[in-house]
Amino acid sequence: MDLSTFLASLLYGVTIGSALILISSGLSLTFGVMGVLNFAHGGLCMLGAYLGYSLMAWTGSFWLAMIAAPLIIAVVGVLMESFTIRPLYGLNPLYQLLLTVGLSMVLANAVLLIWGPDQFSIELPEYFQGYVNLAGIYYPRFRLFVLLFSTLISVLLWYGIAKTRWGIVIRAGIHDIETVSAFGINIHRVFTAVFAVGAGLAALAGVIIGAMRAINPEMDLELLTSALIVVVIGGLGSFKGAVIGSLVLGLLEAFGVQYFPGLAKFTVWGAMILVLIFRPEGLVGAE
Amino acid sequence: MRSTSLTAHVVVILVLLLLPLGADHLFSGFYISLMARVFIYAIMILGFDLLAGYTGMISYGHAMFFGTGAYVTAMLLKHVTAWFWPSLLASVVGCGLLAYVVGYLSIRTREVYFVFLTFAFAQFFFVAANSWEFVGAANGLAGIPKPIVLPGLDLSNSTVFYYFCLIVLAAAYGLARLFVRSPFGRILVGIRENEERTQFLGYDTHGAIRRVFVISGMYGGAAGALMASMNSFASPVLYHPAVSGEIIIAALIGGMGTLVGPVLGAGVIILLTDLLSSWLAEAWMMIVGALFAFCVLFTPDGLMGLIRRFRSGRAAPGGSGHA
Repeated sequence: MDLSTFLASLLYGVTIGSALILISSGLSLTFGVMGVLNFAHGGLCMLGAYLGYSLMAWTGSFWLAMIAAPLIIAVVGVLMESFTIRPLYGLNPLYQLLLTVGLSMVLANAVLLIWGPDQFSIELPEYFQGYVNLAGIYYPRFRLFVLLFSTLISVLLWYGIAKTRWGIVIRAGIHDIETVSAFGINIHRVFTAVFAVGAGLAALAGVIIGAMRAINPEMDLELLTSALIVVVIGGLGSFKGAVIGSLVLGLLEAFGVQYFPGLAKFTVWGAMILVLIFRPEGLVGAE
Repeated sequence: MRSTSLTAHVVVILVLLLLPLGADHLFSGFYISLMARVFIYAIMILGFDLLAGYTGMISYGHAMFFGTGAYVTAMLLKHVTAWFWPSLLASVVGCGLLAYVVGYLSIRTREVYFVFLTFAFAQFFFVAANSWEFVGAANGLAGIPKPIVLPGLDLSNSTVFYYFCLIVLAAAYGLARLFVRSPFGRILVGIRENEERTQFLGYDTHGAIRRVFVISGMYGGAAGALMASMNSFASPVLYHPAVSGEIIIAALIGGMGTLVGPVLGAGVIILLTDLLSSWLAEAWMMIVGALFAFCVLFTPDGLMGLIRRFRSGRAAPGGSGHA
């Protein structure tokens, strides 16, 4: 193993990790604030990827796909939250979870009906094709963009959570939602907003991943599984946990492919089991 | 109430015993195989319900036992022996061990964690079965011989298979009834009602959940063994999360925490998917998913709950002991 292969894997791992942050932070925050573990999160991500593909194919504008698909999915998220999840608040959290399992099946089937079973790839604009030379490592231009863009979004998200008024409400909500409500803050609006942002971020990640790899009707399960393993590793309900878990997973995937090609897919479960044995609350778990 | 329940049991058993006589006269022989599928699902869902209905721990990964049971039986029938019993034993014991390991890793956590950890573990098997050449990867394992159950009797005849599944289901049902009525079953109900209080009474609730999860996995293994024998085929689809989803929805439709509910739910889900796959093959998952959401939103205690509510509307409330 020479240094440049190592560095290329490192870079790729961080790139995948940064894209995973967009998926897992929404999943984790939705759970932290609302107590809802959204099994339809992978489905929203996949729907975003397909929408992005179609928007790109119709308009030819990559940026339109990157902006419109997440906005549409955020609206889908608002509808999902208001009409199906809201009536179940206050019941056993398992009911909300089971509901999202049902919704995930509906989304998966809808995608299959609309776009069919074929695999697609989102076509990249010319300026994202080809490679850049980073101190001797030839790295695909688009992957570099993904790394920078996802990092930017993650930093904005962190800023939003750590520094803004909305962020204070969200952090307080993770801690104790009833007290937040007692302060006269409309928690239903908070719930809807968190859910919509989570859905939009998932769709954004879907478009990015669709352009980086490929989109197919099974990707919802893959992405959901990755996001769940991320939150097990990082710790459920915290943004920091989602970031750390995503990076761990991304690096495992990148180095796994490079150094144990046959077993690469399974290294993430290995990591999950180790975390469950030694730190069941996750690497950044608060409990 | 008790005598109506007894009459209902006798009627159901008689109908099921006599059903194959009508095949090819009253209805096509296809329905005999369909009913055998209902029995197989009923065994699996019964196992799921012992866990979910009695302790409140919902597994969204039960397909891992169904698939593993099927693959173990398929491999043994194909490569080792055509006898059914050793394969069944291996499937049941193997799934019990698997459930012990998965349970050990996921039961310490909270309810919601349990749901997605079971999902994540089942996904491991889905991905593995799809990529491991030794078990046929995505193509699955085909060409499994029909298993022999008695000297000179194998399961190739669909009527024989029907009765065989019915016997296994009856045994599984009887065992489940014993579990539920034993002191162990009382602890499980105690866990569902209030885990903390049950702990304070001196019971090892985590140990009890782990044990019932093992039993539940064994039921899934037995169902998988029968499924592989029925289809002469095992494929990664058995591990698909949609299977785990179907198990939950069937238990929800039937009503969790009863023993008749899972059997009823199995019947509904199999007949429904059969109907839908002939009319609306493309959209069946959407309809199952929508039904799932509908059940959660409107009838959280399932068909048995509806029946109970209907009954208690007629009879004096409080007297409806459930089976």
